[in-house]
Amino acid sequence: MELIERYLQAVKFWLPKEQKQDILAELRDDIHAQMEAQETELGRLLTDSEVEALLKQRGRPLLVATRYLPQEYLIGPALFPIYLFVLKVVALCYLVPWVLVWIGMLIYSPGYRAVQGAHSWVSAVGSLWGSLWLTAFVTTGVVTIVFAVLERTQAKSHFLEDWDPRKLPPVRDPNRIRLFDSIVELVVNLFVFGWWAQNMASPIVLNHPALRITLAPVWSYFFWGFLVISLVNASLAVVNLMRPYSTKLRASIRLASDAAGSGLFCWLLKANVLTEFAPANVTAAKALELTNAINWWMAKTLPAAIIMCVVILVMNAFKVWRATPAGISTHQGTVAAA
Amino acid sequence: MVAVLAALRDEQCGYTLRKTLAEHGMAIDEGTLYPLARRLESQGLLASQWREEDKRNKRFYRLTSEGALILEQLLCEWQSIDASLRAVLKEQGNGTDRAISASR
Repeated sequence: MELIERYLQAVKFWLPKEQKQDILAELRDDIHAQMEAQETELGRLLTDSEVEALLKQRGRPLLVATRYLPQEYLIGPALFPIYLFVLKVVALCYLVPWVLVWIGMLIYSPGYRAVQGAHSWVSAVGSLWGSLWLTAFVTTGVVTIVFAVLERTQAKSHFLEDWDPRKLPPVRDPNRIRLFDSIVELVVNLFVFGWWAQNMASPIVLNHPALRITLAPVWSYFFWGFLVISLVNASLAVVNLMRPYSTKLRASIRLASDAAGSGLFCWLLKANVLTEFAPANVTAAKALELTNAINWWMAKTLPAAIIMCVVILVMNAFKVWRATPAGISTHQGTVAAA
Repeated sequence: MVAVLAALRDEQCGYTLRKTLAEHGMAIDEGTLYPLARRLESQGLLASQWREEDKRNKRFYRLTSEGALILEQLLCEWQSIDASLRAVLKEQGNGTDRAISASR
């Protein structure tokens, strides 16, 4: 009997306050009725182990009690997929860049390294690990709180039920090139082409009384290289305007153009291209120091530039793989010859 | 739910209700039955009363007039679903028979 009271006490803890006594009385009666029925069948009193088995068959006290409670969600089944999606977006767009910036700061900023107490690589990784968990915990917590509030408000506002099929986004065709994108690309590249040809042809890019900037002879390679690339991009934009479907040929030309641009850019950072950076009010020695410092910082940004270029090239390679051979739109039935 | 409402056309306590349902091949465990009975009572479909019987306090449930009305509607719905399901099964059965005959 003591076992039954212990069981009921454990159930009682989780029950809603106003119904506690009522539910317990009913449960107690049901257990006793079941015991009596078994005892009548067996012709004797139940042993302790038989009472124990009877209680075990009824289930854990917490589970028994929760069946009397209203079903509640922190985030319900309607919002849960959106919650998961937002968490993934946060992880990708906030945590990953956060880690990259953190690593960059640790490499390039001795002051930051000292503040973080990262004197060796082991302590740096330890510091990153600790900070990452804290940041992930805080961001996940904030997203969870926002969705918990939404869950409570959506029941009253009914914003999930209030929707219009006509406001759904149009069917996406990954190979379709938007008109707006082509126009922007054409305008930007024509502007860059004109400005570049007008202002960057000479190694003396600025000859003002207040500041003189001179570049090394190797600059001519960069000048012609970027000029040709902007011309290729502008031509590609014109073709895309007329035939707005990505084809393997055009995606490959874009990949080649971006690969050339990336290569040139990375080379530019490492080429010590600046030979003179001379503000009017500084001495020649100070100007030389400034020039060397700018070249040194440009070279230091090379790893970050390489990462950026690799990301761009991988995305372009994916577009080549995704593009249909002859630019056939699967959704519209339109064929664009390469 | 339909079975519980139907069984409570005659007043019964929780344990005997459970036994009645089990005897008719519809065993429902107490962790499901009692919370369900409480929900139906809060919706006004059942009424309950504590009474002493066999030297023990027991809670007796019975169907209310509103519960009887809902039971009537649920039985109609159930019969309609049953008829539709039987028609679908009969049609598929004929189709299966035809397919078997054709394969022979």
